[in-house]
Amino acid sequence: MFNKPISSSEAHGTELSRTYEDAQFICREGESSAEMFVIQSGSVRVFKASPRGELELAVLHKGDFFGEMSVLEGLPRDASAQALGDAEVLVMTPGALLVRLRRDPTFAFELLRRLSGRVRSLNARLVATLGVGGAAAARGPAEALLYQSEAKEQKGVA
Amino acid sequence: MIIDIEQERLLVVSDLHVGNPYSSASRKLGAFFEYAERGRYNVCINGDGFEILQARFASMAADSVGVFRGIRRLIDAGLKVFYVVGNHDIALENFLNVWSGIQITPFLNVTSGDARIRVEHGHLYDPSFVRSPRFYEWITRAAGPLLHIYPDVYRLWAVYEGAKQQVVRALRGGKGERSVYHEAARMLLRRGFDVVIFGHTHQPEDILFEPGRRYLNSGNWVQGGTFVEIEQGQVALRRWEG
Repeated sequence: MFNKPISSSEAHGTELSRTYEDAQFICREGESSAEMFVIQSGSVRVFKASPRGELELAVLHKGDFFGEMSVLEGLPRDASAQALGDAEVLVMTPGALLVRLRRDPTFAFELLRRLSGRVRSLNARLVATLGVGGAAAARGPAEALLYQSEAKEQKGVA
Repeated sequence: MIIDIEQERLLVVSDLHVGNPYSSASRKLGAFFEYAERGRYNVCINGDGFEILQARFASMAADSVGVFRGIRRLIDAGLKVFYVVGNHDIALENFLNVWSGIQITPFLNVTSGDARIRVEHGHLYDPSFVRSPRFYEWITRAAGPLLHIYPDVYRLWAVYEGAKQQVVRALRGGKGERSVYHEAARMLLRRGFDVVIFGHTHQPEDILFEPGRRYLNSGNWVQGGTFVEIEQGQVALRRWEG
């Protein structure tokens, strides 16, 4: 399965919409890329290779975004993403992201909130690993904890 | 701070301008909150709920007593009240935040049924506000005394905004040129939202851009009384007749 989407459109000047079929890879761990993605429809599975096999980090849905670390740092992908069923994603390069932030400032807020949540989780893990806050870090793979913790903290169910 | 919420029943009102001598909100909101309580709706005040920029603090404080009482009743009944900050009440953000019970937020991403809905005041897309927030605040404050000479100054503002849009459209030569708010809503809709709800312009609107992508404006309670009703993903713009 290659990354090539089944359709792609120069939708809105700097942003691009791409459609993927079930199980198609949107991005792969280790590859060089400077794009981030916002799910417009469908679901996406994010996972990482580990010595014990694939480690699923998250299943993301409409409105969720991923790949922001590569677009911000220009480093190889930290995880892979694969469509679960048909999925449509909005693709942003660094330039497109800047235009988006200028015109949609709340996206910056959401992005920073996500990154802030990660820093908080990492701090908690650090404390736990050092033995100050218990053995939470030992309960499961660190990355999975990170994503679960983010989801819990950022989703307010009323 | 919560920005992502799941809500099956939510009422959205905006631009109440409580404290403005001609806002009908303080007179009508009691019955509206009773409607929310009977129907077990949570409530979202989508910006400019309280008028701190143009009204005297004394009149805002006097008018807000009944409104706060209504909000307190909803909270005591186990319902939630969200408050999205607008441009006339930014100064009240911390004040309202420490007032327990109301959940203050810059915007809300609401999941209701299968729908993802963005609720936001909309002033961030107002070119005048974005170009120079300080000048915008100054001119808004300066217009405050006008309320005591000609309280219906908001109608003038609405006429001015409408005329400005028409001139811009004419200059660009496009009949169907979209407003900046429609453009902003489209930007948000491309991020996986099904519905975008703004306030700020005082103009109630309900526009289906394309199947599954819709924009609403919840209007105002200065001259009218409109609200958006969200029920299990179904969204409707309604006029308050109570």
